[in-house]
Amino acid sequence: MADSSVERLASVLVGYSANVQPGELVTIEGPLVATPLIAEVYREVLRAGGHPLPKLKLPRELEIFYAEASDAQLDWVDPSFLAINEVADVRIIIDAETNTKSLSNVEPARQARRSRAREVSRNRYLERAARGELKWVLTAYPTEAGAQDAEMSLAEYEQFVYGAGRLFEPDPVASWQGFAKHAFAAKAFLEGVRELRIVAEGTDLTLSVDGRTWEPSVGKENFPDGEVFTAPIETKVDGTIRFTYPAVFQGREVNDVELRFADGEVVDSSASHGLEFLREMIAMDDGARRLGEFAFGLNDGIDRFTRNILFDEKIGGTVHLALGTSYPETGGLNRSGLHWDIICDLRTGSEVYADGELVYRNGSFLAGVL
Amino acid sequence: MRTDICVRGLGGRVWRHRRRETKRSERSWGPSGPAGFGLCYNHPRVRDPRLDRLGELIAGYSLDLQPGEVVRIEGGDVAEPLLYALYRAALRRGANPYLQVGVDRLSELKVAEGSDEQIAYVSQLERDELDQLDAVATIWAERNTRSFTNADSERYGRYLSARRELSKRGWERIAAGDLRWCGTLQPVEAYAQDAEMSIEEYEEFVYSACHVTGDDDPVEHWRGVSEELRHHSERLAQVRELRVVGPDTDLTVGVAGRKWHTADGRSNMPDGEVFTSPIETETRGEIRFGFPGVFEGREVADVRLRFEGGRVIGSEASRGADFLRSLLEMDDGAAVLGELAFGLNYEIDRFTRNILFDEKIGGTIHVALGSSFSELGGLNDSKLHWDLICDLRAEGEVYADGELIWKQGRFLDG
Repeated sequence: MADSSVERLASVLVGYSANVQPGELVTIEGPLVATPLIAEVYREVLRAGGHPLPKLKLPRELEIFYAEASDAQLDWVDPSFLAINEVADVRIIIDAETNTKSLSNVEPARQARRSRAREVSRNRYLERAARGELKWVLTAYPTEAGAQDAEMSLAEYEQFVYGAGRLFEPDPVASWQGFAKHAFAAKAFLEGVRELRIVAEGTDLTLSVDGRTWEPSVGKENFPDGEVFTAPIETKVDGTIRFTYPAVFQGREVNDVELRFADGEVVDSSASHGLEFLREMIAMDDGARRLGEFAFGLNDGIDRFTRNILFDEKIGGTVHLALGTSYPETGGLNRSGLHWDIICDLRTGSEVYADGELVYRNGSFLAGVL
Repeated sequence: MRTDICVRGLGGRVWRHRRRETKRSERSWGPSGPAGFGLCYNHPRVRDPRLDRLGELIAGYSLDLQPGEVVRIEGGDVAEPLLYALYRAALRRGANPYLQVGVDRLSELKVAEGSDEQIAYVSQLERDELDQLDAVATIWAERNTRSFTNADSERYGRYLSARRELSKRGWERIAAGDLRWCGTLQPVEAYAQDAEMSIEEYEEFVYSACHVTGDDDPVEHWRGVSEELRHHSERLAQVRELRVVGPDTDLTVGVAGRKWHTADGRSNMPDGEVFTSPIETETRGEIRFGFPGVFEGREVADVRLRFEGGRVIGSEASRGADFLRSLLEMDDGAAVLGELAFGLNYEIDRFTRNILFDEKIGGTIHVALGSSFSELGGLNDSKLHWDLICDLRAEGEVYADGELIWKQGRFLDG
């Protein structure tokens, strides 16, 4: 079972998500523990006529780097990373951890310094992706460490991961194409809406989305996928929201987060655990107090919290907000060093109103809305 | 919104070369390594001090890494322990190291399933990357040394020549002095199996050969080796003709005017030999090789060769005679010697089916059929470079212009 799921995942990633064409240079990036998937993706890229270029990562590499590197070494970026973002036609990136907390004790300033050094190259990749010169897809390969964070056995977690990717469907690609219709319908509807109001226990939040673009995520750049997102109007968010899941950022958790907004800004915050960290993050810069994203999670195959944002932000029947920077393609203007997704479960006792009209209840859009 | 890929780091890919058929400056660098399937990595819980010393030796002595220099450390996935040790040592010297990890299984897939174009493809990305390096460390490590045994030889050949094409640029930069390279080895089960040892025995063998097991300073040791080998090279450079006498062996080789290279632990670790490329037309007599000849994973046992006027005129083997003949007939240069060398690492005391060690066994000499080293004055050109080792430890003598210089595996002047 597991093996054929890996084969199906590889086939969907290469054929549907990345849509690899003959002659394309395709990097396959992932840690050693993901070798079974890397090998299948490699085979599929060959079958598609592409040129696979594997880039494997060892589990202790970064840990050693942070333990030893001087500032000058933190500022250096290896030429193969730079070259990928300049030259590759497709990047297939596989997220798989052997220990999700291996960098928990690294000084955040050192991590930030390394990421700053890589920002130029990162921007090159974003530019090329925006121009359609570089396709990319991020996926996850189930490991014990991922299962542990999700509080499951590996066998259960594998079922969860592959189920979320619709890989047990007779024709996964057709299934994703069907989902895409649904997500585009949500986009069409939401782009006609000026104001959304979310009502649930402890939550009554109003946000303006007037004139903003909604982006449907349908399995192309993330896999699994399933959400539709936008950036709210920066000055028009009011009310209170209580987040049902822990807010996880850089390996740290904040529990029972409540935020109160006025004119788009967070004016009050509380949490049962990690409040200091939350407030530190919100104070990071001017943009960190405002929302950069609002989204509906639409993947019903993802039915629980796993501490992996690739899955969590897509849980069917949830919404999520991100504090901080917004995505330009949505029309958002907020800029910040922060982008922190926090998820709110709406599957029970909740309603969403669009310009005053009830359109969504207990985790689903009402019949006839989309 | 979509989870961003740049949040996660990314790793490297290897440029390992398959070392079986070629040597030192001939070798092609290529991608590598059978797949790590999940759960059985060789992760020592306690760091092996021998590995740390080996990492420091290569970073400090072999490659002599300087602050700010860019070094790629490449190896198969089973090279993980030494990859880490070398990475750490390079960081500590202030260099900018990065890892490229190869998985042989992926290369096997390409050879088995790729189109001709895919097999021969080398990306611009890989070519450009080469030009930015100050140093490369290659760590050989395989899960199975025979994984290509049944591969279609035409497809495999196409793959190898594409990798050689890529590595050519590297060798050019090395020759120009713009790039330093060191090849070394991670003790792994597959190599231990070929050497007919347990992994622990094999580790001890490898680390002893690199001189990193004891308390004395490995760098001092290798500096001493370097001095001693240089002395031999200088003396041999004065010689016109060498005569090797041993069991079923009486071979005369002209070396007048040729340079001798001192292999003192810079480009290989372990190391320990001096070698030249003989005069192409002067080899005469016969030689019997005590160790099997191994080429691309295939063995030829008890090889005997007879030379006249520089060329092989007769060959015999107890096993693999047909394969031996096919190699000799590969091209015009295949029946001519491209190399003559003295193995001088006395911590390597046995045959292990791995040329990195075998050619340096203290007390042996070896010759290679095929391509020679132009930097040493060699003129022979061939696709073949096949090292064959002759054990002179028990009985054997070498005469230089008639004077006895080597007896029972040792130079007489130390």
